Amino acid sequence: MLEELKKLDLREVKKDLIRGYNECLGRGLSETAKWLSELRISLSSIQVNPSEVEAEPAVPAEEIDFYDLARTLLELREYDRCAHFISSSEHPKLVFLRNWAQFLASEKRHIDNMTEASASSQHSPCLQELRDLLSSLNLLINGTGSILGSKSSAQSRDGYLLYLHGIVLKKLKVRQQAVESLVKAINISPLNWGAWLELSQLVTDRCMLSNLKLPNHWIKYFFIGHMYLELQMNEEALEIYMFLKESGFEKCSYLNAQIALAYHNKRDVEIAVEMFRKLLDYDPYRLENMDTYSNLLYVKEMRAELAHLAHSVSEVDKYRAETCVVIGNFYSLRNEHSKAVQSFQRALRLKPNFLSAWTLMGHEFMELKNINAAMKSYRQAIEVNWLDYRAWYGLGQTYEILKMPQFSQYHYKKAQALRPNDSRMLIALGEANEKVEKFKDAMKCYYKARNVGDIERTALLKLAKLHDTMGHKDNAAELYLEYAAESQRMLSIEGNGGMAGGSDRVELARAYKYLANHFLIQGDIEQACMYCNKCLEFEETKEEGKALLRSIAEKRQKEETANMLIDMPVTEESTPADGQTVSIHSAVPVRLQMSGLSSLESPNVSVQSNVATPGPADVTNRSDMSLTDSDDTPMVLSP
Amino acid sequence: MSDSKYEKMKTPADFEDSISKELIQSYRNIVRSYYEKHLYKSAAFWADKIMCITNDPHDIYWNAQCLYHLKEFQRAANIITSRNLHKTIPQCQYVASKSLFEAKEYHDSLTILDSLEFDYTLAGKSILSDTTKTENTGMECVELHSAILLLKAQVLQANGNRVRASECYREALLTDIRCHEAFDSLVRLQMLTSVEEQELMDRLESQMSSQCSAEEANMLRLLYRGQLKKYDKPRKVPDASPDQSIDHNSTADVRYLESNDSRFQLSKSLDCKAWHSERLYYNCDYHRCLEVTNEILKLDPYHLGCLPVHIGCLVQFNKANDLFQLAHRLVKLYPEEAISWYAVGCYYFVIGKSDPARRYLSKATMIDQLFGPAWLAYGHSFASENEHDQAMAAYFRASQLMKGCHLPLLYVGLESGLTNNTELADKFFTQAREIAPCDPYVLHEMGVTSFLDDDFQNAKKCFESALAQIQESDSRRLEENWEPLFNNLAHVYRKLGKLPEALQLHQQALSLQPLNGSTYAAIGLVQMLMGRLLEAVESFHEALGLKPEDSFSTTMLGYAMDALTIDPVDGAGQPFEGEPAELPASLRCSHQMGSPSEPLMIPQQPTEDLSELSIEYEMQDASSP
Repeated sequence: MLEELKKLDLREVKKDLIRGYNECLGRGLSETAKWLSELRISLSSIQVNPSEVEAEPAVPAEEIDFYDLARTLLELREYDRCAHFISSSEHPKLVFLRNWAQFLASEKRHIDNMTEASASSQHSPCLQELRDLLSSLNLLINGTGSILGSKSSAQSRDGYLLYLHGIVLKKLKVRQQAVESLVKAINISPLNWGAWLELSQLVTDRCMLSNLKLPNHWIKYFFIGHMYLELQMNEEALEIYMFLKESGFEKCSYLNAQIALAYHNKRDVEIAVEMFRKLLDYDPYRLENMDTYSNLLYVKEMRAELAHLAHSVSEVDKYRAETCVVIGNFYSLRNEHSKAVQSFQRALRLKPNFLSAWTLMGHEFMELKNINAAMKSYRQAIEVNWLDYRAWYGLGQTYEILKMPQFSQYHYKKAQALRPNDSRMLIALGEANEKVEKFKDAMKCYYKARNVGDIERTALLKLAKLHDTMGHKDNAAELYLEYAAESQRMLSIEGNGGMAGGSDRVELARAYKYLANHFLIQGDIEQACMYCNKCLEFEETKEEGKALLRSIAEKRQKEETANMLIDMPVTEESTPADGQTVSIHSAVPVRLQMSGLSSLESPNVSVQSNVATPGPADVTNRSDMSLTDSDDTPMVLSP
Repeated sequence: MSDSKYEKMKTPADFEDSISKELIQSYRNIVRSYYEKHLYKSAAFWADKIMCITNDPHDIYWNAQCLYHLKEFQRAANIITSRNLHKTIPQCQYVASKSLFEAKEYHDSLTILDSLEFDYTLAGKSILSDTTKTENTGMECVELHSAILLLKAQVLQANGNRVRASECYREALLTDIRCHEAFDSLVRLQMLTSVEEQELMDRLESQMSSQCSAEEANMLRLLYRGQLKKYDKPRKVPDASPDQSIDHNSTADVRYLESNDSRFQLSKSLDCKAWHSERLYYNCDYHRCLEVTNEILKLDPYHLGCLPVHIGCLVQFNKANDLFQLAHRLVKLYPEEAISWYAVGCYYFVIGKSDPARRYLSKATMIDQLFGPAWLAYGHSFASENEHDQAMAAYFRASQLMKGCHLPLLYVGLESGLTNNTELADKFFTQAREIAPCDPYVLHEMGVTSFLDDDFQNAKKCFESALAQIQESDSRRLEENWEPLFNNLAHVYRKLGKLPEALQLHQQALSLQPLNGSTYAAIGLVQMLMGRLLEAVESFHEALGLKPEDSFSTTMLGYAMDALTIDPVDGAGQPFEGEPAELPASLRCSHQMGSPSEPLMIPQQPTEDLSELSIEYEMQDASSP
């Protein structure tokens, strides 16, 4: 990987860019040529004399006619004709063109033949074509015709042919050899960005990345940046991209889009949206990465913006995969899920390897409760890119719905490994672990989730519940206390808290109930009483609160009659407000239990409302105290 | 024809007197000349007239010849037999018998052949002297003798007496070493095993020294050897120019190499190329084979010798469209040839319509009872629909017709194996092996039956020797088609507990034939047995991605997942990356479940499933011309 970021010699870079552009264009690799020239316009201020750029050896005169014809046919997508006319040529450039055309032809046929139920059957003709192409490439590259042979020939030193070899191997999932071929290809012709991109899809983790033998070339910075982004190492990616930006590529659309992606991954939604806006201002007709932009707008629920984006991209090019994804997101935000699915399907028909469409389609199918289809989509997404944590997470969810906890746990674990510091993954993993009764692991997950910044604020509660089910009552109580305190704080921040999260309120009520019960069992009647009163604040636990209070009163009375002396300090310790309520309740004689509930209702409520005002601050103080006292385990945990 | 001759014919009354010997002789010449111009009607008319006049056996013979060509076989035979000439003159015997053979009167034909045992050593005595040719050499006698033997063989064969027929063919060939038809019949109809072929070649060798010059002997040797057995074991077929293929096992003819030019010219003969293509086909090098057959058919669009191989290639590549065109052209041109209907049947086979396929294939077999490829394809059409019994019947028929070919026996064995009758299968495989001891297909299938019988040691031996045969041939294309062998050997290794070797072989198979679901499933199983659960899960997922309905992978994936959650093997128990070393003391709880040996408890049943899958796959692969 990178040791340090060395200053770029922009003049050399520009020369390289021109050379690479010529090489790629001459081979019909238009995508790569586009990328290279995108970079070049950032360096337009640097003048390079064409003679300074070293040119490739030209195609010999006797073959130039065929070469030109082949190039034109390739551009016009008449692949088979292209391959036919240069079928016997030996020149490396023509050999590459021929095989490239054959590859594209088989890909085109594959896409054309693709139907809904194309579960890539084993004897499909496209697969056979690919296998045949692989055999002939093996023959060209290794001489012996076997994958394992290593006889070097003139063709084996042609970086572009190796690149194609790598692509075909990758298509056939012979990953190890694909990586080898691509690395070789990159070392021979580093300017072929396509090869780097293909390689990036084969790198599964950081360790593998650092073990790749890559040339020390300026283009490597772009690759490493790309890789960091894929591996969710967003900070590191940003660092590289910022460096590149400062070195002279500040206008490059690609770079800016990548930076926006990094912010998107970091969940810095605002900055990411801003970046995309700027990018659109500068390069309004660029459709790449617009799918991500639409995701951002979707997450922010910026309907108008999303609608505008959908309209403008469909004006640019209606039949581009990115456009279809934007439109799909637009429909999804409008809750028209089946239309969204159609859009995503169209995107995939246009570009079968379009990752985000697969994942998003999975989400849509989940919305439509079509679990099987969702699962298929997610699986495809993983096929396309092993590193897509959303797809792994989605699969985990589908299995959860299908009540297959082992599978769900496995997939959540994958998702979590890909995105180690996302609390959502951790919580999901924890839940799954609970389901397969690995409580210890579940607990670890929740603790970690809490430490990495619990986005949905559920870790604590889950942890508390888990401790409770496992019988660690004290731990559970501590955690509930903390949760209660936190919720109170949140409620006070959000004002009256009436609107904020109905489920939160329910959970809070349950927490109070638990605490009340807990302290009652512990014999800490003061505390128990206080939480009982808290319970009365909530509709859901009102009845239980009352019942508890009653039993508390009963208990207290018993204690009072049995041992007057012991009761004394308790009343002393309690705060005045608490004391009041307690005294009121203790004053309520036992007979009240016998009497009708209706008679009891009104006074209690009034009491409760009295207490409520001083309550919160006090309670938070107390619970904070208690947490720090109990040698605060969760804090120790941070890895 | 002059008017004066007509004038003379007008007076039939005094025929004998008025017609001079010269005139008769000139009419004989006229008959010959019409005959050579294929104007048989005129020839027959005049021959009949001359016959009436002279009643000379010679003239009768010629009349019979003309009638034969007019396809009036019964008349031709009758002319001779009514005069009992077939008992005295060999040529007449031949024509009469041949005519009856053509008229499908095999019994009568054979009676005529048996009626006279002519002694050919007394050259030229009782043989009709040819009036146009001055010489009547021993050469002609030999040819005639050979022709009569050949005819006898054909009659016997038509009668179904294949053993004697084959003997007669051999005799015919040894009598006249240039009688290629006899040789071709022996080879094409697969009458001899490779051992017998070798024996025949040895006998031919001794005949050559007496019958022809050294130079000629070399040429004959070259041509015959090129045509010999192609199906017993894969051999290295040199690419480049086809001329090399001819002498691939004749090392002795160094002298002949000197006249390299003419030899090269010889190898450009389409027959030689067709033999070459057949070899390539057997080596599974279908691409090159198709190239060669295409080349042949470009020069000679209806080269019958190469068509079966060409059709086989088209079937192999599923080229339904090309097959359709070819079949149409053939049926239009040769509606009476078996090969045409064979092509039609193959077309329907390729597009998966078994009923018409069977109909046309059986038509092909009706036309030519001895057309082996049609019988085999007929069997395939049943086999592909799991109609084992009918397939077996068809293959069995083929095995009776193609005594020297092991393929039908192999298929019968395969089908019996598929009906779980391994004992019977083994019997057939053993027979097949007797015919072709080194054939990797046979070795492979024997391995499979041993595997099914749980005789893993033997299975290993069979698979390994098959592998050795293949690797000897050193052809990448071949290896690709042998991917099932790699997998099956890996299954055996797994059963024998050699897990790393098994894994390696599976992976080799995968690199030969990428994206194969059952290979992934097998890899998953091995990984599971090795305790590499995480990898196993990934493999099973991969397998299910390729074969979504595969119950084996589904079951195994379930087991793997269970094992993963229960048992912390190789880091699988880690809840997530970067987990804390341990829980805080107050929260710790003891939590132990399962023992490490648990994931090894894998049911044995599914593995059978797996091996069967690859057999089925292999079966589809092994279609032959």
